Amino acid sequence: MGVTDDVILPTEEELTVPEINLSGPALKAGAFHLGKACENQNNEFMLCRNELGDPRKCINEGKAVTNCAMNFFRQIKKTCSGEFMQYVNCLDKSSPDQAFNPCRKTQAVLDKCVKDNLGIDRPPYDYYTRVHVHKTARPRLPVEGPTVYEDATPRLPEDIPKPEAKYGSRYIFLW
Amino acid sequence: MASSTFKQDMPPEGGYKPIPYKRIPAKTFFSGWALIGGYLGMTAGAAYLYYLNCKAVHARELEARSASFAIYPMLLAERDRAYLKQLRKNREEERELMKNVEGWKVGTWYGEPIYKTEKPDTLQDQLYHEYYVHSSFKDYKKRAHLSLIS
Repeated sequence: MGVTDDVILPTEEELTVPEINLSGPALKAGAFHLGKACENQNNEFMLCRNELGDPRKCINEGKAVTNCAMNFFRQIKKTCSGEFMQYVNCLDKSSPDQAFNPCRKTQAVLDKCVKDNLGIDRPPYDYYTRVHVHKTARPRLPVEGPTVYEDATPRLPEDIPKPEAKYGSRYIFLW
Repeated sequence: MASSTFKQDMPPEGGYKPIPYKRIPAKTFFSGWALIGGYLGMTAGAAYLYYLNCKAVHARELEARSASFAIYPMLLAERDRAYLKQLRKNREEERELMKNVEGWKVGTWYGEPIYKTEKPDTLQDQLYHEYYVHSSFKDYKKRAHLSLIS
């Protein structure tokens, strides 16, 4: 409904990429390092998505995000598989809402492994809630000026003489 | 007569003990000022502990939110692709469903579009019912009540 034939939708092939086949705890366990590893792609995608507000125009940026995340998790699997799964298990089973608090020990083990193998530090706990400046090569969006109505009443010219009111103005206390 | 000796009931030797009519106040451990001071001190201490607790809870929430933000672009990218795929499927499904209807144009009411002032190539966000209109009621219900089961 509402999607007419004039609306250009990307084809099935354009939209099909290998998706990340991981569950919630695993994503949450890798979240901090993933965000740091794919910071540029994530920021590009979110910038595009928020500027244009159209999912069709940010397909390529989205693919870059997924590709980067895929590479990150592949690297994790290659190097820190045991530590990662230990942390995932802890997150999954220690609390109903996958809280980080009960899993600081396994987290430290994972952090050390990721630091040694991938060279990614764990960012501070509120890193992604802070405001960051993102340097981008995206062209600036054209600024939409005020709407111009063709049948609007023309303005008076600027240099029109403005004589004093002939009889002054009525003044009662304030107006 | 059974007994001829009579004994008058008399006070004990040396008289009765004095009647303890004097008021004995309860022992006071704290003065009023000490109580007020203690109350204020305990409240201040408890408020400090409460502040520490609030700070810890806030930090926990912040960390959870931070982690969500970190994976949000990835989830959104995946969701966008699935969404667009489903829109295409919906359009094809509607075309197939309405192929025998005379004068039907996909996405419109017999050629009358929903949004008249927008450009033709504008993708409007779908309403929930529009998005699930061709799905089975089971899937529709499952998604609609997802918050009740998760």
